[in-house]
Amino acid sequence: MATVQVSEAEKVYILHGIRDDLRVDGRGCEDYRHMEIETDVVSNTDGSAKVTLGDTAVLVGVKADIGKPRPMVPNEGYVEFFVDCSANATPEFEGRGGEELGTELSNTLYKVFNNKHSVDLKSLCISAGEHCWVLYVDVLLLQCDGNLYDAISVAIKAALFNTKIPRVHISADEEGGKEIELSDDPYDCVRLNVKNVPCIVTLCKVGHRHVVDATLQEKACSVASLIISVTRKGTITCTRKVGGGSLDPESIFEMTEAGKRVGKALHAPLMKLLQQEESLGKARQKVGFLG
Amino acid sequence: MAADMRLPTIQKPVSLTFSAFDRKDLVVPGDVITSDTGFMRGHGTYVDEEKLTASVAGEVQRVDKLICVKPLKTRFNGEVGDVVVGRITEVQQKRWKVETNSRLDSVLLLSSVNLPGGELRRRSAEDELTMREYLQEGDLISAEVQSVFSDGALSLHTRSLKYGKLGQGVLVQLSPSLIKRQKTHFHNLPCGASMILGNNGFVWLYPTPEQLEEEAGGFYTSLEPVSVSDREVISRLRNCLLALAAHKVLLFDTSVLYCYESSVHHQVKDILKPEVMEEIVMLTQQKLLDQEG
Amino acid sequence: MGNVVQRQTRGALRFQLFRKMAGLELLSDQGYRLDGRKATELRKFQARMGVFAQADGSAYLEQGNTKALAVVYGPHEVRGARSRIRHDRAVINCQYSMATFSTAERKRRPHGDRKSTEMSLHLKQTFEAAVMTQLYPRSQIDIYVKILQSDGGNYSVCVNAATLAVIDAGIPMRDYVCACTVGFVDETPLADLCYAEEGGGVSSLALALLPRGGQIALLQMDARLHQDHLEALIEAAMTACKGVSKVLDQVVRQHLQEASVPSAE
Repeated sequence: MATVQVSEAEKVYILHGIRDDLRVDGRGCEDYRHMEIETDVVSNTDGSAKVTLGDTAVLVGVKADIGKPRPMVPNEGYVEFFVDCSANATPEFEGRGGEELGTELSNTLYKVFNNKHSVDLKSLCISAGEHCWVLYVDVLLLQCDGNLYDAISVAIKAALFNTKIPRVHISADEEGGKEIELSDDPYDCVRLNVKNVPCIVTLCKVGHRHVVDATLQEKACSVASLIISVTRKGTITCTRKVGGGSLDPESIFEMTEAGKRVGKALHAPLMKLLQQEESLGKARQKVGFLG
Repeated sequence: MAADMRLPTIQKPVSLTFSAFDRKDLVVPGDVITSDTGFMRGHGTYVDEEKLTASVAGEVQRVDKLICVKPLKTRFNGEVGDVVVGRITEVQQKRWKVETNSRLDSVLLLSSVNLPGGELRRRSAEDELTMREYLQEGDLISAEVQSVFSDGALSLHTRSLKYGKLGQGVLVQLSPSLIKRQKTHFHNLPCGASMILGNNGFVWLYPTPEQLEEEAGGFYTSLEPVSVSDREVISRLRNCLLALAAHKVLLFDTSVLYCYESSVHHQVKDILKPEVMEEIVMLTQQKLLDQEG
Repeated sequence: MGNVVQRQTRGALRFQLFRKMAGLELLSDQGYRLDGRKATELRKFQARMGVFAQADGSAYLEQGNTKALAVVYGPHEVRGARSRIRHDRAVINCQYSMATFSTAERKRRPHGDRKSTEMSLHLKQTFEAAVMTQLYPRSQIDIYVKILQSDGGNYSVCVNAATLAVIDAGIPMRDYVCACTVGFVDETPLADLCYAEEGGGVSSLALALLPRGGQIALLQMDARLHQDHLEALIEAAMTACKGVSKVLDQVVRQHLQEASVPSAE
């Protein structure tokens, strides 16, 4: 279900509820739904995470591959994004139906994550100008129940945290050429620093107020939304207005402030959870899709 | 601002009735129910080499000589007289198409609705042109199944004052198999809100109307703001319904009310947390068992 | 080679590793396979029905290291061209796709390539044989499967997962559809191949079976095999499928016990 129909009277009900700070499911305007996060769910990847937010479910897989650095930045690696809006989420996405949404989502992800302030791209460099790690971040949308951006960004942060890149040994052969050797030991690996990886907060303007983590029904009542990516320190790295309607500058300022506050507060529980999961080590009961 | 993040856990359904013992009436596709030829085959069965065989996974139900298998979860199989809640998807000539969670869209004929102006009113050509003023795409209605077409599509009618267009409220979409068949599916709950438990699994929660509205043919909806206290009750009921559905508890006025009572110690938004759901469903089942005696 | 810098994708490196493994004996003298199984032994199954709330039916299946998700939407009104409507039965619509991260070498596209289109068609044909479509005239049933992690026998795992999803959706079927991929090595049929075996030059055969009647819903073999061995191989595949059907049966019964609504009485 990517879109839902809502009758006029339902709209009025939702609108008045948001005005009174009591949404249909009992949440206040700045509350998130219950979120479940698990990392290391698919083993053909170097890092993966599954996030469910209400009925929204996303699976993110990160694969590291060796590539050539971009000529403009020879000492940095780079990140590639792909969002697969699969037909599993809704029959509307069958065939090429999900491509438009997928492109829109991945374009935003490039803007948010593929820069040296979000991900430590320098650490992805193997030998300047010749080899670097390319991180392929593949997002798989399994169920849509609103607020895709936030769920995807949390999943990406968790997957990057989980990513283990094998250590590389560069040796020169007799004729001066370089030979790259990857460590075979699965424990001999490098972890990424995810300290500055931002989370995205989507604020939906509904009536005169705005809400975070909008359900599909609420989204159907909103004119436009603002997505804001915020780091742990509260720095805004990207904002973007999405949706067909228009917003006035005042409400954008208000929403930015709210987004900053909410986004900043997302990081602490997320990192705590990821570290807690990590500390469980092998004792952790893997749930995946069997839960 | 509150964000509740956690690791997933393996959920086990809570049940006080002993699911430990093997229920004999549960079958899976391909199971032979009986090789006695004296029975008639109903839904969910087929005859293979003179043996009555199940084609779906579910529980066997026997009415006299008729054997059916009722699957755990399925689309709505409407029968004449069922109460449904549905959404208009298309306005066509002389009829509306209604989404009712059935396998084909249901039909509401212009001749099966009460138009403003009383019972004995001829449907004129103008009525056909102004159909969208009564009901338009996206509108929700409550209706009754009038007949079933040969291809399985349902024909609905709203020719009673209790049916018609729905106003402000909340729709909860659940599985039709969770709705218990009862004398009435319209309930004014004592906790301060009303509920229509559609047989098709769509449940409509709305503020209890002050008095019976004057005869407007059911096409007038009030857009006055609903009070915060009413909203809270409706939101709580909504979350209770979802909690009961998540643990496969049969839905009817008493079970919903018991669940509502069990949940009052929790904030409305906390009800959907797994451990709270488990707790209140457990309490509800306890109360239901006590009541049965 | 000279000064040429050796640059290989990690996927290619991993593949080489498999090649090396393939150099190993696929079946040891003691009768054990690469992953320690006996010739007729199936991989470990783990499954769950009703994974997603929004779909009409859904299931997740792990068969060894191959993981698949299947969802079913419908029966519902036919979408798109009205010419697809069949007045005497339901139309079955399938899409097979693989997550881009599911394979050792990253895939560029999840679906739409020749192989997945072929798989989609096979799935459709398999389920047309099993689902009682004549009960639902003018409607459509969507079956979507997704491989999350690929380790051999993708088609078979998808069929098995889809069977569970169709049952979860409460759509009538004549019987379970069970599928298994088998191979032929050293005059011995191997059941339920994994990726290393599939890639190791084994002639493999995929078979989907309706076990009760012993009806074959799909038979596919792309490799060379002496005609004399074919019967033995098909026999082995059918035995393996019956083994699969036992496991699926357990999964469904377990699910029924857990998820059935206590009856009103």
